[in-house]
Amino acid sequence: MKNHLYFKVLVSLLILTILAALVVTLDIGLKATSAIILVFFMVKFLAVAFYFMELKTAHVFWKSAVLIFASIFLAIVLTLV
Amino acid sequence: MESQSINSKNIYYPPGGILMWIIIFLELFTFGMALVAMVAYSKDEPEVFHSSRLLLNTTFGLANTVFLLTSGFFMAKSVESFKANDSIKSSLYLKLTMLGGFLFLLLKSFEYYEKIGAGLSIGYNSFFSFYWMLTLFHVIHVLVGLVILSSVYVGLHKKNSSLELEDFEASAVFWHMCDLIWLLLFPIIYLLF
Repeated sequence: MKNHLYFKVLVSLLILTILAALVVTLDIGLKATSAIILVFFMVKFLAVAFYFMELKTAHVFWKSAVLIFASIFLAIVLTLV
Repeated sequence: MESQSINSKNIYYPPGGILMWIIIFLELFTFGMALVAMVAYSKDEPEVFHSSRLLLNTTFGLANTVFLLTSGFFMAKSVESFKANDSIKSSLYLKLTMLGGFLFLLLKSFEYYEKIGAGLSIGYNSFFSFYWMLTLFHVIHVLVGLVILSSVYVGLHKKNSSLELEDFEASAVFWHMCDLIWLLLFPIIYLLF
C-alpha cells in the first residue's frame, strides 16, 4: 500500500517539475509565470516533507511549522517579483 | 519478523528527531533569506538577472531535480524496509539513494566546469554571485549527506550492528533536507528571472 503511495508521490513530483520548466516557455507574463512556478514549488516542498520525511505522522506543531515556512516564503517571493 | 516504530505523534519526537528538525529549520531560513535577497536584488538589475538566468542550462537543473527527487524516493523506501527489518532491501535502496546523490554531483560538477570555462565565475555579476554561493553551499550539504549515508550503509552491513531506527531516520531526514533546499533553489535560480 505504502509502496504505491511513495511511487505516486514521486511521479507527481516529477510531473510538477517538468510542468514548471514548461511554464517558463509560455508567454503569459512574469507575474503569472512566477505564481505558477512558485505554487508548483510549494506543492512539491510539502509533498517531500509530509510523505518522504513522514511529517504527516508527526505532531501538528511540526506540520504547521513547515506549512507556515513554505507559505511565508511563497508570499514574500510573490510580493517581490 | 517484528517491525520497528517510533511514536512520532509526540511533539518532542518528530520523524528523525527534534535536533535534526531544528537544523532543518535553520537551514531553510538561511537559504530562504538568501533567496529572498536574490529576488530583491533582481529588482535593481532585472536585465542582468534575466540575461544571466538564460546562460544557465535549465535541462541540467531539471535533471538534477529528477536525480534528487528519485534519490529521496529510494531513501523513503530504504527507511520503510529497515522498519520492516528487511536489511537486504534497505541496503539496496540505500545504494540507489547514494547513486542519485553521486549523479547529482557529477552533473553539477560538469555544469560548474562549463560555467568556469565560459568565464561565469562568482564575481561575474550579482546573479552569478548568488548562483555560486547558494549552489555550492547546497553541494556541501549533499556531500555531507553522502558521508552520513555511507556511514549508515557500513553500519547496516556490520555484524552485531548497533544501528538504531532513530539513527537511520535522522540520516534519512538529513538527506531529504537536501531535496527540500534544492526545491527552494531550482525554481528561483533556474526558472524565475
